[in-house]
Amino acid sequence: MSARERIFSAVRAELSAARDPAQIAGEAAALLAEPDAVRPRLAGATLAESFAIKATALGTTIDRVPALDAVPEAVARYLAGQGLRPSVALDGAPELRGLDWGAVETHSAIAPDEAAGVGLARFGVAESGSIVIHSGPETPILLAFLPLHHVVVLRVADMLAHLEDYAARLEGTEPPRNAILITGPSGTTDIEGSYVRGAHGPGFVHVILVEE
Amino acid sequence: MSDAPHAEAEAPDFKTRAGIALADRTLKIAIDRTTNTAETKRAAAVGAFPEFEAARERGRAIKDHVIANLGHYLETFERNATASGAKVHWAADDAEARAIVVRLCREAGARSVTRSKSMLGEEIGLPDALAEAGIERVETDLAEHIIQLAGEHPSHIIWPAMHRTREQVADLFREGHVPPPSAEDPGSMVRSARRVLREKFLGADVGISGANFLIADTGATCTVTNEGNAELTTTPPRVHIVTAGIEKLVPSTAHAFALLRLLVRSATGGEMTQYTTFHRGPKRPGDADGPEEMHIVLVDNGRSRMLGDEFRDMLRCIRCGACMNHCVVYRQIGGHAYGGTYPGPMGAVLTPVLDGLAKSRDLPFACTMNGRCAEVCPVRIPLPTLLRAWRGRSWRENLEPRAMRAGLGLWAWVARRPRLYRLASGLGVRALRLMGKGGWVGSVPLAGGWTAYRDLPRPSGKTFMEQYRGGRK
Ligand code: SF4
Repeated sequence: MSARERIFSAVRAELSAARDPAQIAGEAAALLAEPDAVRPRLAGATLAESFAIKATALGTTIDRVPALDAVPEAVARYLAGQGLRPSVALDGAPELRGLDWGAVETHSAIAPDEAAGVGLARFGVAESGSIVIHSGPETPILLAFLPLHHVVVLRVADMLAHLEDYAARLEGTEPPRNAILITGPSGTTDIEGSYVRGAHGPGFVHVILVEE
Repeated sequence: MSDAPHAEAEAPDFKTRAGIALADRTLKIAIDRTTNTAETKRAAAVGAFPEFEAARERGRAIKDHVIANLGHYLETFERNATASGAKVHWAADDAEARAIVVRLCREAGARSVTRSKSMLGEEIGLPDALAEAGIERVETDLAEHIIQLAGEHPSHIIWPAMHRTREQVADLFREGHVPPPSAEDPGSMVRSARRVLREKFLGADVGISGANFLIADTGATCTVTNEGNAELTTTPPRVHIVTAGIEKLVPSTAHAFALLRLLVRSATGGEMTQYTTFHRGPKRPGDADGPEEMHIVLVDNGRSRMLGDEFRDMLRCIRCGACMNHCVVYRQIGGHAYGGTYPGPMGAVLTPVLDGLAKSRDLPFACTMNGRCAEVCPVRIPLPTLLRAWRGRSWRENLEPRAMRAGLGLWAWVARRPRLYRLASGLGVRALRLMGKGGWVGSVPLAGGWTAYRDLPRPSGKTFMEQYRGGRK
């Protein structure tokens, strides 16, 4: 008998006879009923405000711009403020590629010691101050992990209230190969439980909120 | 010496290991530094989440639902993971799991493997199996990196290097890092590890990770981490291998989120880990990066047996570590003294399942039954009840040491004779009073195991029954 058959026969021997999958699905759905009773309330009056409260508490910095075409300017401002050269690894998303980057040099290859990467978030989650990225032809996952500074462009229109709302957005679509909820800069508490910001991933996460 | 593996991990039996650990003052300092922070932060996180009790109840119900329908969810997950292009492998025990992972590494021609922390990997003995196969293993989680430098095993399921103080970590890094870190503060040590591991990430042939959840309806695996090492482990290598226990299933992504809220608050006192990652199959046509192959090894190793016995509730465990952070015994002796992969209250329940009760019979007894573990467990596992069940089994299977069986037998014989019992307890109380000084008794013949590290309160001189009768008159 294969290991698979052995495991299934052991599991089946201990559980009652096969049940109707529709009935199991009904029970599983009931376990998601009344979500507000089992999740935290939002921290602010609007989604963007709640997001900002949670994200800044974790060390994420936030800038707000009225429209996408103000993003290169905001990126230049951030880089200058951090004392960095105006040069970034840029996500392949057409929304970002199509912008006029002016004095900021952009490239798509990501160096192992890249200083700053600029990417587009699919969603924001107000409950936790998280941003969501999906892998794809335009979006290398390493763009969010190799650079020391991760600059994320997030449209207020893509802001969701709760984690379940993100799960709902995936329904009926082909989920990406790799979806990541990023909540603050990388960090660790592995030495004596004391928090150190900046571990293997970025030490700085900067969100540019686009209001339009 | 700071870089010698902790001695208590090497001793053959629990009593010796616990004795060595209790005598190690530095160990106590290290454990206190982390567990005190963990306890405070968890309390604050739970306090800031008024819905916590309701969420806990929901979490318990989700896990119970999955366990009751495990066959269905295993099949669903396998079907969906396979459809995503991942290859699913099944391992009935640890030896099969090791063999599968080593074979996959060989097929990939792997010389170097990066690993992101997974307790299941420890449970199945993966580190040693890779070493035996001659494959370089690079631990990328900071704590795992520390214990790899020290040649040790994890002493905690969330903070594997909890048993080391920052001074001891600094010593290890000074010897193991080129160039050594510039200072002893945790920040510069973390930066040093980042520098040392960066090139290892990009040069590995295979990346191995675990999973916190297996999502049945999408076939995705979900991992939560803080350091960013997990994505650097799973993205650049050509092959990504996930090892996961079969109890990790959840029906859907939304169910995973419900449990995630409990897991993170209970583990570190945060609300979300920095990275919550869902992996679903290998690199797709046109993808900018990602592995060419994804393999998922589903491991039983005693879990299906637990479905049918009194330890079934333990399958709900989401490995948050809260029970050990709040355990008075763990906080005295640390994780290595337990001798298994999993320490603390949850380890005392699981180790007899994994290693057999004969080898781990002492663990269910290393418990004061104060109930704090069950109070904090986010999925309401009745840990003291399960430990009591092991004690009962140990008695039935005749595993008690002879002296204990004889002693308890004698006690039972006397206790069934009220006059004799009153006489014996009256004599005992007076004898203890004679042995004590001030309010405490520092040493009792035959009870050195108790009195070596703590004193007994000196009794008043009369038994309860004598005082009770005296008071009534
Ligand atoms: S038994 Fe409960 S408290 Fe302990 S690790 Fe498991 S889930 Fe956490």
